[in-house]
Amino acid sequence: MSALYITACGDHVAGVDSDVSATELKALVTDAVGAPVRRIGRFIQLALIGAGRCAKQTPLPSTAAVYLGSGRGDLEVTIEVMQSLLRDGQAPKPLSFINTVSNAACFYVAQSLKLMGRSSFVCNRYFAFETMLQLAALDLAGGVVSTALVGTVDVVVPPLAGHRIRLGLAATTPVADASHWLCLQARPSHGALGQLLATEPFMDATALRAWLSQQVIDRNCLLATGQFMPATETVQWQRELELDIFDYRAGRAYYDSQSGAVLGEFLRSDRQGSLLHLNRDPSGRYSAMLLSK
Amino acid sequence: MGSIHLNGFGLHTTLGRGVDANVQALTSAPQPPREVSVRFAHEQRSIPYYLLAEAPLDDLEARFEHVLYGVIAEALEHAGLTTAERRAMGFFLGSSCGEMPVLEAQYRRDLQLSHEALPMVQTSSLGNLANRLRAPFGIQGPDYSYYTACTASANALLAAASMLRAGRLRHAIVVGVEMFNAVTALGFSGLQLITRDVMRPFDRRRGGLAPGEGCGAVVISTQPSRGPWTLAGGANLCDTHSISATNPDGSAIAEVIQQALRACALDATAVAALKTHGTASLLNDEGEAAGLHRVFERAPALCALKPFIGHTFGACGIVELALFCASVDRGTLPATPGICAADSDLNIVLNQERRSQPPGKFMLNYFGFGGSNTSLIVANDRAQLA
Repeated sequence: MSALYITACGDHVAGVDSDVSATELKALVTDAVGAPVRRIGRFIQLALIGAGRCAKQTPLPSTAAVYLGSGRGDLEVTIEVMQSLLRDGQAPKPLSFINTVSNAACFYVAQSLKLMGRSSFVCNRYFAFETMLQLAALDLAGGVVSTALVGTVDVVVPPLAGHRIRLGLAATTPVADASHWLCLQARPSHGALGQLLATEPFMDATALRAWLSQQVIDRNCLLATGQFMPATETVQWQRELELDIFDYRAGRAYYDSQSGAVLGEFLRSDRQGSLLHLNRDPSGRYSAMLLSK
Repeated sequence: MGSIHLNGFGLHTTLGRGVDANVQALTSAPQPPREVSVRFAHEQRSIPYYLLAEAPLDDLEARFEHVLYGVIAEALEHAGLTTAERRAMGFFLGSSCGEMPVLEAQYRRDLQLSHEALPMVQTSSLGNLANRLRAPFGIQGPDYSYYTACTASANALLAAASMLRAGRLRHAIVVGVEMFNAVTALGFSGLQLITRDVMRPFDRRRGGLAPGEGCGAVVISTQPSRGPWTLAGGANLCDTHSISATNPDGSAIAEVIQQALRACALDATAVAALKTHGTASLLNDEGEAAGLHRVFERAPALCALKPFIGHTFGACGIVELALFCASVDRGTLPATPGICAADSDLNIVLNQERRSQPPGKFMLNYFGFGGSNTSLIVANDRAQLA
């Protein structure tokens, strides 16, 4: 694919360590999008914070498209509706029901930022961020869109004990709300933070190796690996590719879309050159992202 | 823009199991939905619903997988791919409810053991469904699960086609699923959008929608295999007028239709017939009719499929595509006698009698909650599209 230009990065990550002390998001939403947005839950608030922070860094044309991904969607509103209905015997409230459709977050992002391009809400269990990047890159390369706002959102739903069970985590694993966004455009931009050189899915390690053999990856390139790749395999890839590690996950609380953090972390770091990010899922499929600055 | 071939369909709706059974049943007049008793806590409410044929509502968890596996198997069998082709193909899913029928069944069971039980503890990822569905068929390509309300599976199809055109994939399967669940039934009931009668899109007597169960699948490829159908292209845009209704002036709908036509280098006059979204709700039909009038100086033949199968929400993109193509394959455009005949307040007339439908280019429209509007263009005339 042709290089795409990253013109903005907007992130929000906040650890949640108590059933009652989640970060108040209303002020952050107002700051990010310039006005309060009422009657929305935390998932949508998180989407607005990340997307709005991007929009503050770079002008977005009204035709900009929104690509929002998540491993699990708007867990908060879905759980609320299920508990109200099946435990408490209350039929879904109209707005809560509408918001169970997770693309409600896309709607609020588009409305708040005055965007009318295509919008997509897509889930992928292990490659949530990579998936959205692939879809956006496809549309940008095909000329279907010229500017893309790409992000992922993960929301913690207390009680934390239940949330950890839901996510299959140990009882002491730290968890976090997260929203990672970036703005991509097809045309070169003077103020670009970096370039996305590739974002690819692979059905197995053989396919990944075949692709890697065709890439120009110099020794100064850094290697980062995703949260679903076993540590032992990270070491194998590091040895095979002979690259230094860029560790963006150390000390990071758990959320599904940690891959979304790597671009911002690398672009904000003082490291120069390029970065290769690899991730894999339990069925042996891989994803790769290659970027430079 | 290269054409993408639609090489195999699978379908299960209230009309029947399998494409042939569905299209056969389409020749009869639309029937009203069944009344389904929905239990929540100590209450029961009767909700009209078009339930799947030959799939009793007993074990919702087993039923969910059984129906989906059947539809996917039908599409794959028709497409006739090799094992290697199947392994590398992409898996695209579109749905509104996702696994909600399964989640509800699990939570109901857990609540019987403890009132403190938590929902969604056994599975909570909207992305898990794609993994569960692709694995038994040996599909190892990438998966993308679209949750964009009523446009979900249509958007999934557009994305899959883009991947094929870009050379990222050679084959993909696109699956739409919508199955009975209490949240959907009572949610739409609470919005007061439900009718107990046959849906009457664009008709003066329209009284709302009836939810429908539906599962559909289509295998798409860069090479032709079986059948004459191609996906010429389409468009998807966001209408920020309202989260639950499209702009009634039709401007947003007109824009997505025009963009779809531009994507296929077609003029509006090239559309031989058009499948409306037609939810039979007051505002959405008004907006859709206004959009059609903005684009088409003289409307092509119009049809609606929801009177037969109900509104299958996120699945309707693929379910209605499969039904439409199968009907035209057999030479006729679907007809809804007595529904939106000549006296529509919206100046729309739906096809009234089964009539011969020559090959051509056809538009299928879908509009959903969250302002998601999608327009697809398919062809069966083997014409070279730009």
